[in-house]
Amino acid sequence: MLILGITTSTDQVGCAIGGHEGVLAQVQSCRGRRHAESLAPSIDLLRRLARVELDEIGCVAVDVGPGLYTGLRVGIATGKAMAHALRVPMVGVVSLDLVAFAVRWSPRLVVAAIDARRGELFTATYRQVPGGIQRLSDHDVASPVDLAVDLEASGEDVLLVGDGALRYREVFAELDRVEVGDQGLAHPSAASLVQLAHAKALREDFVQQWDLEPLYLRRPDAEINWTTRDGLIGGVARGGAAGGTPD
Amino acid sequence: MTGHVPTLVARTISVGETRDLGAALAGLAQPGDLVLLVGDLGAGKTAFAQGFGAGLGVTEPITSPTFTLAQEYSGRLRVHHLDVYRLGDLAEVAELALAELLDDGGVVLIEWGDAILPVLPHDYLEVRLAFATGPDADDDERRVVLRSVGPTWAARQVSLLHVVAPWAEAPSAPGAPADGGSTC
Repeated sequence: MLILGITTSTDQVGCAIGGHEGVLAQVQSCRGRRHAESLAPSIDLLRRLARVELDEIGCVAVDVGPGLYTGLRVGIATGKAMAHALRVPMVGVVSLDLVAFAVRWSPRLVVAAIDARRGELFTATYRQVPGGIQRLSDHDVASPVDLAVDLEASGEDVLLVGDGALRYREVFAELDRVEVGDQGLAHPSAASLVQLAHAKALREDFVQQWDLEPLYLRRPDAEINWTTRDGLIGGVARGGAAGGTPD
Repeated sequence: MTGHVPTLVARTISVGETRDLGAALAGLAQPGDLVLLVGDLGAGKTAFAQGFGAGLGVTEPITSPTFTLAQEYSGRLRVHHLDVYRLGDLAEVAELALAELLDDGGVVLIEWGDAILPVLPHDYLEVRLAFATGPDADDDERRVVLRSVGPTWAARQVSLLHVVAPWAEAPSAPGAPADGGSTC
């Protein structure tokens, strides 16, 4: 079965096609956060490079984040639309798992850190196991300084990978036992996605497109206090004289 | 961090003047700025945003983002114009990619932004537009209260005072703070 993989959770837009014979082709670009403009032409180029017709694709795999909302919106909507049109199932893989998977041969503690913007990182910790890599912690949100403190406290040799690790590399530079992975390892790879999705597909570990959701780790769980607006809808006119709500 | 919030009060007598005030304030805009536009329906939030955009050199027409939720314009700085009026919970605000927009090196303007303070950084200019009241008040007259919350706008308070001067409300008006530009 051929799998189309799409990654859009960071500045990089990536797609790959592969199956049991490995990854046939991969297209990626990382310039100016133009996910919406780049993805469809990338998939078309990918299809031609791999000499694959779209109706040969048996599964669409997507990177579900956490990461850029703007990127995930494009990647997941595109993946769902293609799965719907091709009538094939989907596989979702977490962005941090993809970043860690690319360094699965390291005996060190592997920590993935994706830029969450506004001074925070999406992060998770992994360790090499026979045949792959295993996540040791929940996916989490942390400031670079808090993560640095945790890494120092772990007392282990750490390989820190992801675009967030690079952005705040000076925070981690002071730590003796932490090495930051370079640019080539900074983004979730669509080739890794196809490989991981292939393993899931063999186990028929699919998700239907209507059930697939992005992973938004930093999702505030509260309603908006709309006393002001609802006062207006309720007919309180100008001037705010009625109601008596302080704000 | 808490305590005194530098505040200025202006008065505009037409939609055009509200736009002009927005354009004048845009001259102070810096990358990463957050501006909350607050006020009742029809108070002039979008008019202010139109002036602000024009002041940043945006040439395309700026329209109310109430139904599109978020719009982006290019000028001296990129302008992200959001309206959270139709949203029900804070998770939907996050889905507008607020963190990315604030990190984008442009200026973010949010209509009804005071409703979503829990998910905003404590560092913004609040522009509160109100229909003028009183016996002489005209339909098009607006009282505009500018509050510099957090460090980045408070640091520009003196410039803000100069920029707002043409529209500054007479000091005798009730509620106008006497210490408008006294910080820094």
